[in-house]
Amino acid sequence: MGNADLRDLAHLETVPFDELDPGVVAVDAHNWLYRYLTTTVRWTNDDIYTTSDGDEVANLVGIVQGLPKFLEHDLNPVMVFDGGPSELKADEIADRREQREKYESQLEDAREAGDAVEVARLESATQRLTPVIQETSRELLELLDIPFVEAPAEGEAQCAHIAKRGDAEYVGTEDYDALLFGAPTTLRQLTSKGDPERMTLDETLAALDLSLEQLVDVAILCGTDFNEGVHGYGPKTALKKVKAHGDLWAVFEQEDVYVENADLVRELFRNPNVTDEYSFDVDLDPDIEAARAYVVDEWEVDESEVERGFERIEDALTQTGLDRWT
Amino acid sequence: MFKAIVSAETLKTTLDSVSVLVDECKVHLDEDGIEIRAVDPANVGMVDLRLSAEAFESYEADGGVIGVNLSRLEDIAGMADSGQLVELELDEETRKLHIQIDGLEYTLALIDPDSIRQEPDIPDLDLSAEVVIEGKDINRAVKASDMVSDHIALGVDASDELFYVDAEGDTDDVHLELTTEQLIDLQAGDARSLFSLDYLKDMNKAIPADAEVTLELGEEFPLKIKFPIAEGQGSVLFVLAPRIQSD
Repeated sequence: MGNADLRDLAHLETVPFDELDPGVVAVDAHNWLYRYLTTTVRWTNDDIYTTSDGDEVANLVGIVQGLPKFLEHDLNPVMVFDGGPSELKADEIADRREQREKYESQLEDAREAGDAVEVARLESATQRLTPVIQETSRELLELLDIPFVEAPAEGEAQCAHIAKRGDAEYVGTEDYDALLFGAPTTLRQLTSKGDPERMTLDETLAALDLSLEQLVDVAILCGTDFNEGVHGYGPKTALKKVKAHGDLWAVFEQEDVYVENADLVRELFRNPNVTDEYSFDVDLDPDIEAARAYVVDEWEVDESEVERGFERIEDALTQTGLDRWT
Repeated sequence: MFKAIVSAETLKTTLDSVSVLVDECKVHLDEDGIEIRAVDPANVGMVDLRLSAEAFESYEADGGVIGVNLSRLEDIAGMADSGQLVELELDEETRKLHIQIDGLEYTLALIDPDSIRQEPDIPDLDLSAEVVIEGKDINRAVKASDMVSDHIALGVDASDELFYVDAEGDTDDVHLELTTEQLIDLQAGDARSLFSLDYLKDMNKAIPADAEVTLELGEEFPLKIKFPIAEGQGSVLFVLAPRIQSD
């Protein structure tokens, strides 16, 4: 898809955690967890997170290791889980199946090329969270008092919706698509070692001199998660054509090009299936002991893998920062 | 322009007070002395240090800012015996600091001040109690508390007019009370806050045993620790954010 294409268009800046304003982050949970499942935890020994019944619960290690980063920097995560697939029409489902098959072949290529970042991205796009991972993630978050929201469809769209309504300062995801869903400010690289990347919609649109609707059209021309782009259209061409002709339909007409289901894809970004029916409390009161027992005793995760993470969570929630008084 | 001669002891004391919190800092080279303000990466502890021109054997500066790697400079200062003098001179061209100790010359590469974390604002706090105490009593309290716990409560009981320290561990507890007779001064007001011993231990390292230390305390408020250095020609202020009391 146009992942790299969108990166070319987006306004991005690397911001040290210390310099980020505190606030709520609506995190695309599927995207976040998969970073841990596919990149961080995968390199460690399987035994550490596989129960005697053979269930893999690397997600629990990921959650315990990943949360301190938020809490230590006064970022309040709200985990947003994907709902069922969007209500797609029959031909769309077929399309998505095709898309998925395409991903799977791309995934093989990426594996062969040794491109770990691309592999992780595609794995996360092709795989679903297993029922055990779905269930244990929520239970652990509940014990840690980390709020979560169930999205009716795409988690990312729901994250953007929460941020647009002003209930979160940031969307947390690796996916540049967050822009297309209208997320005002997105934080990327929340799972990696270095500083996060901040992607802002206003500055992106201002720099490109486009409306959000036009940006979606540019993305559709390049290709998105939901559609194949126009052959030969990269970000530069797509941007030029949308600017010249005004919108997607005008480009189709004037340039004699075509994108299948363009109206549906456009609708999916402009009016995604999201809900206002959510509420969360970011004032945390975790039961660290119960969470530790759940991970270590019940799910047989090696204690040494999560000990430091639990300590950091506890410290982050009990130690105040001086900025509270300045 | 910056050119100064300072005793090794004063230099070491100065550096130690800052390095307990950060690895790098900005140093303001003002006409009337130096100032260093820094906050640790977690935003929990900060230091504001001033050393007036009178604390130096000789001092000339005109208001520049340099960025310093503290452990490097501490290592160099460590080469001097106490009583020896350290000569410092800034080379504006190369942005290097020339350091001379009894014929030993060290050229220290400085850090771009813009690459160092922004200096914090000093919180404007209205604290209810003020305790003036000897440095060695703080050391005693911190040392004993560290044996049983990783955090420590500091408080003032206004009606009984005393300063107290509480550390509760999993099995053992430590309690210390100092009355007005045992303190240098006490302006009583009810106060109690909980602090991380990790931070307090580090700050304690910088407090001279014979210093008169002023503690300002509130209810669930940051702690201010103030003490003179360089025979009163300089001062250090630490501010430490509290932990949330869970009970």
